Amino acid sequence: MTSVRYAFTVMRVVLRSMWRRAEGRFSLLVLGLWLLVSLVSMFWTPWSLWWTDGYHVWQKPSMLHILGTDGSGADMVSWLMAGSRTNLLICVLTIVVTAIFGLLLLAAMLVRATMLAQMSVVVIDALISLPTVLLALILAVPFGPSVAVIVAACGFGYGLNLARIARPQALLVARSGYVEAAMSNGARASRVFLGHVVPNIRPVLVVQLSMSAGTVILAESGLTYLGIGVQSGVPSWGHSLATSVSFINVYPLTVLWSGLIITCVVLALNLFGDALRDCADPLSNAELRSIRQDGGAGQSSGEQQSSSEQQSSSAVLGQGVTRGSGQ
Amino acid sequence: MRFLLRRSALLLAALFGMSVLIFIALRVLPGDVASVMAGLNATPARVAALRQELGLNRSYLQQYVDWSGNVIHGNLGVSVLTGRDVGAQILSRVQITFPLILLGLFLACLFGIPLGCASILAPHAGVRQGLHMLALVGGALPALWGAMLFIMLFAKGSGLIKIFPSQGFPDEGWKQPVSACASLVLPALTVGIIVGASIMRYTRSALQEMLASEFVDMGMACGMTRVQAVLRIGLRIVSPQLVSVIGMTFAEMITGVMVIENLFALPGIGSMLVTDVGNRDLLTVQSELFVLAAFFLCIGFAVDVVHRILDPRLKGAALLASAEGMQ
Repeated sequence: MTSVRYAFTVMRVVLRSMWRRAEGRFSLLVLGLWLLVSLVSMFWTPWSLWWTDGYHVWQKPSMLHILGTDGSGADMVSWLMAGSRTNLLICVLTIVVTAIFGLLLLAAMLVRATMLAQMSVVVIDALISLPTVLLALILAVPFGPSVAVIVAACGFGYGLNLARIARPQALLVARSGYVEAAMSNGARASRVFLGHVVPNIRPVLVVQLSMSAGTVILAESGLTYLGIGVQSGVPSWGHSLATSVSFINVYPLTVLWSGLIITCVVLALNLFGDALRDCADPLSNAELRSIRQDGGAGQSSGEQQSSSEQQSSSAVLGQGVTRGSGQ
Repeated sequence: MRFLLRRSALLLAALFGMSVLIFIALRVLPGDVASVMAGLNATPARVAALRQELGLNRSYLQQYVDWSGNVIHGNLGVSVLTGRDVGAQILSRVQITFPLILLGLFLACLFGIPLGCASILAPHAGVRQGLHMLALVGGALPALWGAMLFIMLFAKGSGLIKIFPSQGFPDEGWKQPVSACASLVLPALTVGIIVGASIMRYTRSALQEMLASEFVDMGMACGMTRVQAVLRIGLRIVSPQLVSVIGMTFAEMITGVMVIENLFALPGIGSMLVTDVGNRDLLTVQSELFVLAAFFLCIGFAVDVVHRILDPRLKGAALLASAEGMQ
């Protein structure tokens, strides 16, 4: 019970110090709005998604349709609102896939003196120079365009990146004294990896995962435009952008909104990672340091790290990490 | 020398692995090539005839040996749907894609590196902040949207300043160099802005580490100003890192390039691939994917070699050495 309360305290402190910084405030606002809109759009949109008015296509913004209507007379706001849900789903799924795949790869690369470790480094170095869009194309041939294709291709590509970028730091941790101590105490390799290595490379993980979340939104718009992303009929921001592209000379306004939303959200996700890394680091955040001394006196260091992990509202990463480090 | 040999062996292994992967992916994944090609309401007899004709009823191993043998001899096959020679097609398409990528990369470096330096070294704090924001926003821009903003600004016919054509490529190709270049300007600008933004960010963060390093202190002790020291010594020290970053963005660039080729109606290799995937011309797609993958693996190879030449410290565990060397 106390550890839950402790987690909430940490969360409040981190959020507060993020709010104090300009870029942190921007990202919290945008991401909060995004969550809110996704939630609301599950129950309510100004117009039904499938309501169309063939007589009033490409209408200018008015009181009835705040952002106007699209080429089939459907309400733009409703589609953008519903799209935020799809994009949220894609983001969350990609983070999960990236984190799981990337950490598995990283673990494989840390196992010393095995063929697997050496080979995995070499293979990852080669694979990393392949663009994810090629993978998406290969997958889209048999499966057709779908959210799953985006998530699989991007999760694979970003997972490779994650492992490659986190490896130098992870190696340093793996060679450190406390890992040696844990090993000599008979801790299993998996326990050491989840309990020591992962919490210690958390800053890199946070930044990389939030960057992945941003990049996948960009990738979604690109892939959807190419016809290998989200299926037609599924609302998403990329879909709204892609369908309005051919009319940019006639109705430039419709193009503006979806592009603006995507840019803001991706920017917010990138800033969020940086701000979270700085604010959740007890070395640079004095306030966080002080509550650690008060509240975490009787707790093992692994547990503290796990609770501060829960607040990193990318809860997904938490699932991968807390399970091991909280034991 | 040993490094070159090892790295080339890896390149060959990666090429082989890639060809197998593409081959298997297009066979094993659901969706039989013949039945896809024969169309929806084809009789079983027609499908069987097509399988016979395409050689699909032989063993996979035999098919693979045939295909890869042909590829090694430079024969990429003939499209069954259109009857055109795939190799010749790719050759004519590459003449557009390659200049586009190079021009985009050139513009990206032209913007990215000096502005990245300026965002650290500019005397005015507001300028530094502004440039950093610019890089962040540039990195969050969807390629599709950026391209459309450029069209709205500069396109002949509909833009605010009517200078550059926004659609197509001259039929005569490079025989009309002026109009060919003109039609590449807007696409290359779009690619350049997006890649340039990430180059700018990396330059900034790499130089930031340099600012406080003993290398710069040494330069200043030798009588350079701080700016001179960072530019002359710092930039040279981080140049290997920048090369690998540029190499990695290069691979991601192809997504943007494919989108942009489609949007600007440039007959490049990206739009060709998308069309063929759309047409389900799978045997052609197989060869095209392989050529593209080979291209990117070669880029990765070149980047590694350049990295090695620029940074003689890299012996043994390359990544660890660079990580420790920077600290």
